[in-house]
Amino acid sequence: MRGLAVGTRALLKREILRYVRRPRNTFLPPFINNVLYFAVFGVILGSRIGSYGDGIPYIKFVLPGLVVLGAVSNGFENASFSIFHGRWNEYIHEVLTSPLSYRQLSFAYVAASALRGVLVGVIISVIGVVFTFAHPGYDVVGVAHPVYLAVSLVAVSALFACFGIVGGLWARDFDYLTVLNQFLIRPLVFFGGVFYPLSALDGVWYTVSLANPMVHMVDAVRYGFLGYAERDPALSLGILLVATGVVFAVDVALFARGYGLTE
Amino acid sequence: MTAAIEVEDLRKSYGEVQALDGLSLRVEEGEFFGLLGPNGAGKTTFINVLVGLVRKSGGHAEVFGHDVVDEYREARDAIGLAPQEFNVDRFFPIEEVLVHKAGYHGIPEDEALDRAHEALKRVGIYDKREERFDWLSGGMKRRLLLARALVTGPELLILDEPTAGVDVQLRHDLWEVVRDLNEHGTTILLTTHYIEEAERLCDRVAVVDDGRKVEVATPDDLMNRGTDTVTVTLRDAPAETPPLGDTLDRVESVELDGDRLVVRASNGGAVTPDLLNELEAMGHVVVDLDISRTSLEEIFVELTGDDR
Repeated sequence: MRGLAVGTRALLKREILRYVRRPRNTFLPPFINNVLYFAVFGVILGSRIGSYGDGIPYIKFVLPGLVVLGAVSNGFENASFSIFHGRWNEYIHEVLTSPLSYRQLSFAYVAASALRGVLVGVIISVIGVVFTFAHPGYDVVGVAHPVYLAVSLVAVSALFACFGIVGGLWARDFDYLTVLNQFLIRPLVFFGGVFYPLSALDGVWYTVSLANPMVHMVDAVRYGFLGYAERDPALSLGILLVATGVVFAVDVALFARGYGLTE
Repeated sequence: MTAAIEVEDLRKSYGEVQALDGLSLRVEEGEFFGLLGPNGAGKTTFINVLVGLVRKSGGHAEVFGHDVVDEYREARDAIGLAPQEFNVDRFFPIEEVLVHKAGYHGIPEDEALDRAHEALKRVGIYDKREERFDWLSGGMKRRLLLARALVTGPELLILDEPTAGVDVQLRHDLWEVVRDLNEHGTTILLTTHYIEEAERLCDRVAVVDDGRKVEVATPDDLMNRGTDTVTVTLRDAPAETPPLGDTLDRVESVELDGDRLVVRASNGGAVTPDLLNELEAMGHVVVDLDISRTSLEEIFVELTGDDR
């Protein structure tokens, strides 16, 4: 049989080209949203909120959370849309009738979507840098632990890309994707410590929040940027990596079973 | 010799509906094989089991000796499918759609582009290579499905109703392409509603009904099983049916309709000379003769009880 690594690359390239060629749909909306977030939460409200942790200005405190929010949303949306749209118009059959293994299928879809999440995360980081550079009251935001940050951001994007595959296979209509985004992803994000520190919560809510994977993701990325974390950074990254591995295995199993794909 | 397709006791049920009910079939390598059957007979379900779009409920299916479940990658790599439905990627120009499809089958990008151009030229839509699928006419869409099936260089080409809803010219163009492929060694599995297509193209045909095989034979064999009609027009209408002698044992029925004698026989061509001799010996003058052979369509209706 001919080299199957070529097959994986072909699907990966197809998936990446799909969003790279449509920047107005994929990269412009998070750019505009985050300019607004930084302007309102970082500059206008942030100067009144003061600082968190070790005297971290709010604009810097909120930046890692916004990066996670963008990476997660885009990783999830890309994977779920790509799979569901392919099912809806049945062109996913081009892939399903090919000799690509179920692991190769999962890898290509997840990697392309995770890359979109990372790219959006980088765009948001650059916006954060520009805002802190332009604001006379703040130091420019830096990266305290670059390798840790890079691994965390990739893991965060990949985890939600993996979830996106499950969503795309589960959805029976476009409404389902909206439901997942509005009723699952968004609450997890808003209660995941993007806009407030975990220590701001009472005991019970603090404990409940620990079950939210977003808490660990935001905390890990915040540690990468600022060197400040509320949880053990090694534990947060470990949870992220294990969760990504588990959900990826679920993706492969769903493809192998033909869930949502074959009758 | 390894069969291109071999299925045994293949079953697929959708709840109470039995789409495939113990289908067994063998298609030889290099064969042009037709699959005939009424709507809902299980033809598309059978194809989709081979390519992995339907999970079988039971039985066994192999493509070139590879089990379609356990060795799905090898089986799928051997197949090029032109389906009934227009299931084409709408995001990319059709040239890229073909390059992607070839890539999924492990063909490097440079070679994939050459193959895409070759396939588009072969089906006559090379000039449209930068168009998206949605901008093509219905006939061009049908041609693209064939090009996409060809771009991976399949050993087995499956055509599911490839000429449904296309004009006569396109139908003949497509026939020419697939006939040429078959002559160069590609095994073809064709499902069609056009009996003429099966008669013209296929080495053998299987008639399928209710998810089961009803018959497998060459088109000629099937047609020989039918009843031919010999119509002899006499100069003077006889008062009663002429009393045929030896010929009567070789025919199924004789009817008189005015000056026309209508004789039905399994092999009309062989019976006719003796029939004419007998009639002339009785003093009748034959002024016209017509032998109508059974069409495959009539055999098909007879076998499936479907008069569509």
